[in-house]
Amino acid sequence: MDHAKKTRPLTISRLLPIARSETAGHGARRAGAPVLAALALMLAGSPAWASELRFTIWTGNEAHLKMLNGFAEGFKAVRPGVTVKFETIPPADYTQKLTFQIAGGNPPDIGWLMEDAAPTFANARVLEDLAPVLNAKKDYDFADFSRPALGLWTNGARVHGVPFSTSPFVMFYNKDMFDKAGLEDPLALAAKGQWNMTTFQDVAKKLTVANGRFGFEFKDGQGYESRIMHGLMPPIRAYGGDAWANKECGLDKPNAIAAVQQLHDMVFKDKSIVPPGERGDFFSGNAGMTINQISRASIMANAAFKWGIAPLPTGPSGESPVIGQAGIVVFAAGKQKQLAAEFVAFVTNKQNVAVAAQFFPPARASVLASNDFVNSNKLIPPEQMRVVADAIVKGKVLPSHDKSPQILAAMKPRVDALWRAEANVERSLRAVCAAIQPLL
Amino acid sequence: MGQPATMAARAQRNDAPWLTLKMREAMEAWLFLSPTLAGFLIFFVAPLVAVLGYSLTEWNLLSQQATFVGLANYDDALMRNADFWHVARNSAVFALGLVPLNMALALLLALALSGRFRGVVVFRTIFFAPVVTSAAAWAIVWKFQLQGEAGFINQVLAGIGITGPNWLREPNWAMAAVIVTRVIKMVGLNMILYIAALQAIPRDYDAAARLEGASGLQIFRMITWPLLGPTTLVIMVITTIGSFKVFDHIYLMTGGGPENGTLVLAFYIYQQGFEFFNVGYASALAMIMFVIVMALTVVQLALRRKDT
Repeated sequence: MDHAKKTRPLTISRLLPIARSETAGHGARRAGAPVLAALALMLAGSPAWASELRFTIWTGNEAHLKMLNGFAEGFKAVRPGVTVKFETIPPADYTQKLTFQIAGGNPPDIGWLMEDAAPTFANARVLEDLAPVLNAKKDYDFADFSRPALGLWTNGARVHGVPFSTSPFVMFYNKDMFDKAGLEDPLALAAKGQWNMTTFQDVAKKLTVANGRFGFEFKDGQGYESRIMHGLMPPIRAYGGDAWANKECGLDKPNAIAAVQQLHDMVFKDKSIVPPGERGDFFSGNAGMTINQISRASIMANAAFKWGIAPLPTGPSGESPVIGQAGIVVFAAGKQKQLAAEFVAFVTNKQNVAVAAQFFPPARASVLASNDFVNSNKLIPPEQMRVVADAIVKGKVLPSHDKSPQILAAMKPRVDALWRAEANVERSLRAVCAAIQPLL
Repeated sequence: MGQPATMAARAQRNDAPWLTLKMREAMEAWLFLSPTLAGFLIFFVAPLVAVLGYSLTEWNLLSQQATFVGLANYDDALMRNADFWHVARNSAVFALGLVPLNMALALLLALALSGRFRGVVVFRTIFFAPVVTSAAAWAIVWKFQLQGEAGFINQVLAGIGITGPNWLREPNWAMAAVIVTRVIKMVGLNMILYIAALQAIPRDYDAAARLEGASGLQIFRMITWPLLGPTTLVIMVITTIGSFKVFDHIYLMTGGGPENGTLVLAFYIYQQGFEFFNVGYASALAMIMFVIVMALTVVQLALRRKDT
């Protein structure tokens, strides 16, 4: 155990001699003695050790912070005197600022980490192994975590992070726009087994014609820019493809080409997807459907239209849910690693994961299987939350790599070329693979 | 004369007999200079030396592993990496587009607004306002205006029967768009410099030339333009340096895209250093940029000296 940052509190045994020496001194200094004695008595009930853990997160949402501060309060029962300070860093700058803090010798004790950054941080050996602490907790039940969900966060027996959000991509839809177009919504189509890539293209086109607004928008309107993978992966996986596997680029394989060709047709022929350089915004009612995660439901509380969520459309390879993930890690350069690991174990125990599930879909099988989870989100009805639970079990995390930033930067200009009306999809995807293959 | 007399009197007091007047003056000069000098050494020279040192290493910011690699980063950038030359070309195109356009427009505006007429202050304020507008707000507003079919610019063009391009999604148009929007943002600064220079030209020259029968164009060519020379040089140097250092505008409007069509040197350095964490390579690129900008400045100064 390392306690470099811990402060030794004043205790009665340390204060009383000081108080005695004060009273024995000059009269002018005697006034301080009762104060010190009172202070000694006040601190008598304080813990033996007082520490503050610094925890970086990317949410500033009040409800999220309230929940996290609640966990910190609860931890005081386990480790009295330990406080946790949550530090919000905006998501766009998160990984970069975290890196600077580590490089500057001022790492946080604990932090959230996105799935695309996890391999980079793990390979740089800046993450502490949590296995000793997690395994030492009797009732922690690490085996309760779904194995696929741990893929990014474990390496053999080593555990360099615990997933706190295993959030599948789901289809958000604007029910009013479907009603106006006289169409069955995606949830109803899914219930009949008719929600697939073909009907997706069909309804997107009909929604656009009937409503004069785009039928579909990529995640947060960023599918051509910062969220290329979020835009491409759901259809590519539905067609049975992947971005890469076994160090080989898969974007130029026939199933990936077919998936992207369909999207390309929807953008430039059907004109049913918000095109590059335009803005739609599903959440303000300007697009019929979008693919996103349930954490976005919190901004739909005051939506001016009826909405719902449905599974992703199936493709030739059947159901293929895509999952975005984030984990909690402890930094190896931190000064309170043991204590930080204990807090991670506390936050990710069964009870707290069940509480967090209202915002962050869990990777614990026991919580997923419980009714508490499907009833946890006030904005999403239980039958729609079952879509989320089902996708977590069947889903696969977005592709990740220790050179993710370089790969995405190499992809970007070639993907830009893909999103032109006259682009040859196959040739463009071959160019993408040629650019990223050396990095894989 | 009062100041030397005071110094002499102080020297005569002879508090420190070993201190000559010359030494005392030198000491005073250094004391007055020292705050600025300290700032220059700490905030300019030290980082420059540090960057030079970093550029000789392969240093991953995240893993904190640094290895001395000599000139390998320079060799990589200049000899092996095609990206560097693509980016350097983009920077040159940006500068060649921005500097003449900015200077020409600034001069035209200054000529129009250097006189005294009703409402001149309002016009000057209108053209200067973008300079003090937040770069982020400016970029976001223009991003909306330059959208494909839904953008204001294209809707105006459509109104007169022209189909506008998808400005920020086509490489050549994107470069043109970032240059023009940057010029509109910054032209006010150069306009003010030119107005100040124009107002410093004695009116007698103009009056005398008119008496001799010179036309407005002749007066501008033979009198005004030559007298604006020093100001033009300053404007050219600072605008060129600024154009090579442009970062925020590109970052916010295009992110270097599309197809790396607006990926300029400063943004490329940022990408290498702060997205890929290759501090050594980014430092080498920064040193190369420093040398380019320094060389351009020296050439401009030399050309000016030759002219005069």
